[in-house]
Amino acid sequence: MVILIATVRIPFVYGGAEILAEGLRRVLIKAGHRVEIVAIPFKPYPPQRILDQMLASKLLDLTEAAGMRVDRLIGLKFPAYLIPHPRKVIWMIHQHRQAYDLWRHPLSDLDKDAHGEQVRAAIQCADRELNALTGHVFAISQNVADRLRTYCGVDARRLYHPPEEASLFYRAPAEDFLYFPSRINPLKRQDLILEALALTRSKVRVCFSGPASEPAFERRCQALVRAAGLAGRVEWLGMVSSEAKRDLYARSLGVVFPPVDEDYGYITLEAMLARKPVVTCQDSGGPLEFVADHQTGIVAEPRPAALAEAMDELWEDRPQAAQWGEAGRARYGDLDIGWDRVVENLLA
Amino acid sequence: MRVLVVTSGVPFVRGNAEILAENLTDALRAAGHAAELFAIPFKHCPPDRISSQILACRLLDLTESCGARIDRIVGLKFPAYLVPHPNKVVWLLHQHRTAYELWDHPTAGDLIAYPGGPVVREAIRQADRELIPEAQAVYTLSKNVSARLRRFSGIAAEPLYHPPANALLFSKSSASDYFFFPNPIDCANRQWLAMQAVALCRERVRIRFAGNAGSLIPQAKSVNKLKLSDRVEWLGVLSEDQERDLYANCLAVVFPPLDDDYSYVALEAMLSSKPIITSSDSGSPLEFVLDRQTGLVAQPTPQSLADAMDTLWTDRRCAAAMGEAGRARYGDLHINWANVVEKLLC
Amino acid sequence: MLKINWFSPLLPARSGIANYAMQVLPVLAKNHEVVLWTDQDQVSPEVHEIARVARYDPAAPPWREINNGSVSIYHLGNQPDFHAGIWRVCMQQSGIVVLHDLCLHDFFYMLSVRHGKGRDGYFSAMERWYGPEGRQNAEVFCAGGLSAEYMAQKFPLTREAARNALGVVTHSIRVLEELNELPACPVAALDLAYAAAPEPRYRTWLALRDGAPYPPYRLIVLGYLNRNRRLGPLLEALAGMREREQFRLEICGQLWDESHIREQIERLGLSAIASLHGYLSDDQVEQKLSAAHLAINLRYPSMGEASGSQLQSWDYGLPTLVTSTKWYASLPRDAAAFVRPEHEIADIQAHLRAFLADPRAFRTMGARGRQSLKNHDPENYADAMTRFATEALRLAPRVSALALARKIGNDLTNWLPAEASPYLLERVSKEIYTIFVEGRRG
Repeated sequence: MVILIATVRIPFVYGGAEILAEGLRRVLIKAGHRVEIVAIPFKPYPPQRILDQMLASKLLDLTEAAGMRVDRLIGLKFPAYLIPHPRKVIWMIHQHRQAYDLWRHPLSDLDKDAHGEQVRAAIQCADRELNALTGHVFAISQNVADRLRTYCGVDARRLYHPPEEASLFYRAPAEDFLYFPSRINPLKRQDLILEALALTRSKVRVCFSGPASEPAFERRCQALVRAAGLAGRVEWLGMVSSEAKRDLYARSLGVVFPPVDEDYGYITLEAMLARKPVVTCQDSGGPLEFVADHQTGIVAEPRPAALAEAMDELWEDRPQAAQWGEAGRARYGDLDIGWDRVVENLLA
Repeated sequence: MRVLVVTSGVPFVRGNAEILAENLTDALRAAGHAAELFAIPFKHCPPDRISSQILACRLLDLTESCGARIDRIVGLKFPAYLVPHPNKVVWLLHQHRTAYELWDHPTAGDLIAYPGGPVVREAIRQADRELIPEAQAVYTLSKNVSARLRRFSGIAAEPLYHPPANALLFSKSSASDYFFFPNPIDCANRQWLAMQAVALCRERVRIRFAGNAGSLIPQAKSVNKLKLSDRVEWLGVLSEDQERDLYANCLAVVFPPLDDDYSYVALEAMLSSKPIITSSDSGSPLEFVLDRQTGLVAQPTPQSLADAMDTLWTDRRCAAAMGEAGRARYGDLHINWANVVEKLLC
Repeated sequence: MLKINWFSPLLPARSGIANYAMQVLPVLAKNHEVVLWTDQDQVSPEVHEIARVARYDPAAPPWREINNGSVSIYHLGNQPDFHAGIWRVCMQQSGIVVLHDLCLHDFFYMLSVRHGKGRDGYFSAMERWYGPEGRQNAEVFCAGGLSAEYMAQKFPLTREAARNALGVVTHSIRVLEELNELPACPVAALDLAYAAAPEPRYRTWLALRDGAPYPPYRLIVLGYLNRNRRLGPLLEALAGMREREQFRLEICGQLWDESHIREQIERLGLSAIASLHGYLSDDQVEQKLSAAHLAINLRYPSMGEASGSQLQSWDYGLPTLVTSTKWYASLPRDAAAFVRPEHEIADIQAHLRAFLADPRAFRTMGARGRQSLKNHDPENYADAMTRFATEALRLAPRVSALALARKIGNDLTNWLPAEASPYLLERVSKEIYTIFVEGRRG
């Protein structure tokens, strides 16, 4: 088949969506198809600009390329999935959440703009076209699928996929630290973990890795470290290589990952592949589809005290932590998370 | 600086323009800038969709990402070079040619065969005329492209030359008994003209063509009539290494295309320190070849080309000197990515 | 100088427009490059002498060649046989549309029925211009519940013909306004072209007329004689007059229903007075017209046409009876005698009696008619047409811009809520305008 993957790229930002698109492309090529990624630039602000770019997407023509009929268009992100095509499949990474579950969220800017309501109405209206694609709408997680149903009345099926280089994760004997890999920003809630660390019984240590792009949030985190005297118990590694990351997973006691309503959460899966328990929160979204409370990790209330409890539990019962890690790996296997499944569904 | 290279692309097509866009992005990074390449999909048929796609480009916003300014965008192809930006430079590889000089071309002319063709042509011309000047600066691929841009759109723009791929790998080796005729994929290359010239040569010149005789479709039958089998060799499809080797060892390069827009062949010949035999109607090679200094510019007739070939075949010293002069000229022309980056970002 | 693609019926097609073309084309071809496009099997040699004739297949027009021209001029009228092919090209590529009939309901109805595309095209057109009422009426008409005459007058579909046009030429601007069918594009009001015969020839005709014995006075009806030519009422009128013996009626031209007319003539006892001559050659027509005393050029209902036969009658200095409707109602009051549609027989009889009472007054009327042909000089006509075409071409990018804006606007209604519209519509309009027309330079 001739396949195009339609996604969005924010200039100079390389993240989960790019990884997924690239992973999908490689897998489809291996399956013998001709595939290319079409990435259109997207600047979601000011809000009215979103309308421009929605229209721009609808004006593009991807029905044929280089004299070949394009057999399928796989849409991943808003507004690229609006590009018209007679045989379109959506594998929703996420919609424009600010028009849906993040409407009126403190961190969202859409509702605070004078034109926010109109733009939100337009986004919702445009997304209604997803209804016409019954049977061809998938989501990267149940979380995203649920949002589609709740806000758009669209029936989407969850379709998991493995993280990058899934086969390269491994386990090593646990050392004295918990690992929190993630972009340093408010939605990931590194600050919550710092507040929790101040309340733990044991001298729990946490290693943070990941790029920082929000100076205000960074300052808040530094302030929390100082206030609770945590300097000796936290480490900020910044951006690390893939090997270093896998090494950190391997040697950690467990993984801490308490984001707010995450779409999917490669981190959870990477932890499971590394056979490590995961501490997450009840409102973390994606990770909840994978972490079984007190079986493969802990699902705590999003309060510092509850997270402190959880971290202490891991810290103080090493055999249990290890056993939960193994259970996590088994669960990964049970969930049948593989690219074959993805290809099968997207091309059906 | 944060720079975006913006071009139009057809999925699954990777030609010279795509390679150039990638090389430019690499060069920008090599110069220490943050650079990314965006290829906006463009489908040129049916023609009545073209205006919508121009509009789509106009609706994109590349001014910032995540709150940080994008300092410059470099637009390369239609209609991507129409994306608005307060700090845009256009490096025009070419306009949408079937709206201009290829309008009534017997095979390439596609707009002319559509009822809505004239309307689309006017829209393309108007958009170019109106919106290319939004750029802070406009450069082109070559003098040919500049001339067309002035003639059709009234816009003055300097050519900005760039090196062929792997420029550093070209070199001189020996000067053996053959002319080399490289074959970029373009039917206007006129191997047939060169063959007719060989038949008229006084000397027993030999010429080696890249590619296959079968590609000379219209003239294939006549090839045998010339009875040149001992003087003409077809080398088939060549690897890059093989090509460079042929350049390195030839006596001279023969390359008389018809009005070529940008001839990597001429540059590759110069990089290999070889003289070039080209034609007065060849377009791009004429921007690089200096007649009787770095090569010979013949008339587009078999006799004239034959004379040029005879001249170099008999005077090897002259050929070698011209080759050296060609190499020096390449240096003088500052054809390198650093220069391109400097011009595009200043 | 323009490169004109001309699409019209051409001789030997039995269309008044083919004759009109012979008046205009020689002038056009003098100053412009003209190509005559035709889907007819035959084109008369005299046409070939005026300009190059090129064939096209309406199913696959040769756009490469057509696009060598700078503007296409399409001539439309009610006969699908003559105009269906032209319409097909016209729909695909905008040009100047010359409306020879203004009431084109018949054309659009017959087009969809005759040319096998089913009635959808016709129904869509009726709905497009006349809303649900139009569509309902169309359905009733198709079921036989309304007459074609009623539909033609009430739903002329003129704007449908002008849908894609860069500009419209009409020979009856007042009628277009009265019909309330002014199109969105520019409109040129021209007097139908007619090259009057030179004076010497005219005098010959006058001499012939005076030379032949009279009474009886010769009445002539000439042309393509459909029901709307009012032969029935004319025969009735004659039959009801004692003075009928003073007249002879020559019915010249292709009859819509010959046997019906013959039967009527017999029934009314007019066999000695009225004669049928069928379709005549040019020479025969000249003979008949130069011998006639009064032309009967009644039309009811009129399709908004400007009558070439009327101008031809005037060329011969003939007084004419015309119906007081549409274009005919706009003729100079002293150059024709008017018959009210609701008093046809009475008015015809009144005029015929007036003629007998004062033939010279009618002769003067005819002379004045000939004088007014000055307004119909083909030189002026061709000049006005080409100036109009040039101006329409200049404005053409706006048409394209509007078309794109309309298309995008329509698509936007699927997903853009009203509150968000003003911003995006303005943004898009500005960009479309810049792309097609002009921008913010300077």
